[in-house]
Amino acid sequence: MYRLSRMRFIFPIVLLLAFFLDGSLSSVFSSFLFSYPYSMVSHLVILWIVLGVIQEGRNTRVIPFTFFAAVIGFLFDTYYAGILGLFVFLFPLIVWVTRMLSKNFSPTFFNSIMIFFIDIALLELLNYIAYSIIGIASASFADFVLYTLAPTLALNLIYFVVFYVPISAVYEKYARLRS
Amino acid sequence: MQKFFSNRRLVVIFVLLILCFGLMAGSVALRNKKSTPTLIQQFGNDIVGFTNNVVSYPISGVKSGLNSVSELMNSYSENKTLKKQVSELAQVKVRDQTLADENSQLKKELKLQKSLTDYSTVTAAVISRTPSSWQSQIVISKGQTDGIRKNMPVLSQSGLIGRVSEVNKTNSKVELLSDSNESSNRFAIQIKTSTGDVVNGIITGYKKSTGQLIMGQVTSDADIKKNDKITTSGMGGVTPKGLYVGKVAKVGKDDYGLAKKIYITPATDYNDLSVVSVAEID
Repeated sequence: MYRLSRMRFIFPIVLLLAFFLDGSLSSVFSSFLFSYPYSMVSHLVILWIVLGVIQEGRNTRVIPFTFFAAVIGFLFDTYYAGILGLFVFLFPLIVWVTRMLSKNFSPTFFNSIMIFFIDIALLELLNYIAYSIIGIASASFADFVLYTLAPTLALNLIYFVVFYVPISAVYEKYARLRS
Repeated sequence: MQKFFSNRRLVVIFVLLILCFGLMAGSVALRNKKSTPTLIQQFGNDIVGFTNNVVSYPISGVKSGLNSVSELMNSYSENKTLKKQVSELAQVKVRDQTLADENSQLKKELKLQKSLTDYSTVTAAVISRTPSSWQSQIVISKGQTDGIRKNMPVLSQSGLIGRVSEVNKTNSKVELLSDSNESSNRFAIQIKTSTGDVVNGIITGYKKSTGQLIMGQVTSDADIKKNDKITTSGMGGVTPKGLYVGKVAKVGKDDYGLAKKIYITPATDYNDLSVVSVAEID
């Protein structure tokens, strides 16, 4: 059970770590990640959550993903963006979309990477739309697809390939039902 | 599909959408009006910022290690050119000191207490950067308790980089000059031409493709040349006078051909910041 499992501590700790790594990596490698015209956005938080949700299908529901997604989304809004109200809804939406998709596919590597691809694309698209409505993003749609969406997808798929095996192993080991 | 668009779910989705945009619009408006964010936000940011310090410490350690290796590689050639500059610099420094002394004496005689060039700085470390392609924002490790207020200008070693956009108790956010946000980039600046004329204006934008700042709507017919130096003008009272911004890269016409548009090569690389200082007028 979740209550007994070690995942109860591991999940939030790694979630926070991923949250800080997103910011720190963007800061340390900013000359690489944000060199004109491309900008790559690091989404380690999403990677950690999405892989958990995909693995969830095999086990019973043990971690309250939607709740954690909303909390980390709120932190994302207030700490990084300074604009409340976007990621606090987007992250739970991503959890929901991942659940819908992973219901219909077996959690193999290939299916997982496709689901993750859709998640990141959706997240960036909605982020772009929302920020252009309130006047923060000013790029055209074509520029967004070419210079933000494509590089971001590339970066995060590399993350996925690198971290798929270790993260899956962690979920496999600790998120099981304890008999 | 029928079940998906059931009445209840539709209502919930609409309420969430309205809440989402309401919150966003509200927080943007609040950010522009108030000098500090709401208490809950501040509290959250302070706690998160504290934890972030712990996490970012090893990462910046690794980065500085890598940097020192790469710096070691070209230190020999750099040393040669720097040696030449140092001998000149000593002269400039001495002259600078005498001028500063003279200046303060003259000010005393004039009974001029404070002028726009008097400012002190608070040094802060960069702990994070917004992982977003729409905002060029960094988080620094000093806040209200160290005397930082909203809208103070932020400098790196070589020049102006942005302004403080949000202040918490122990950390604050800095909006870089490379941010395309419409509410940023409004620094009052001036160009000193080689003939001694002074042209005033504001920074109106940032050209991402060349990494240049834009100073628009310049109607003065002073002879502005490439490499003329640009500093803040101190107008508006929030920014001290004489912070270095950059050099003129190109003088162009604006879209209607009526006014000049001046492209500025910034003094700093906005993508390579680890320590910054916040300037406050005394």
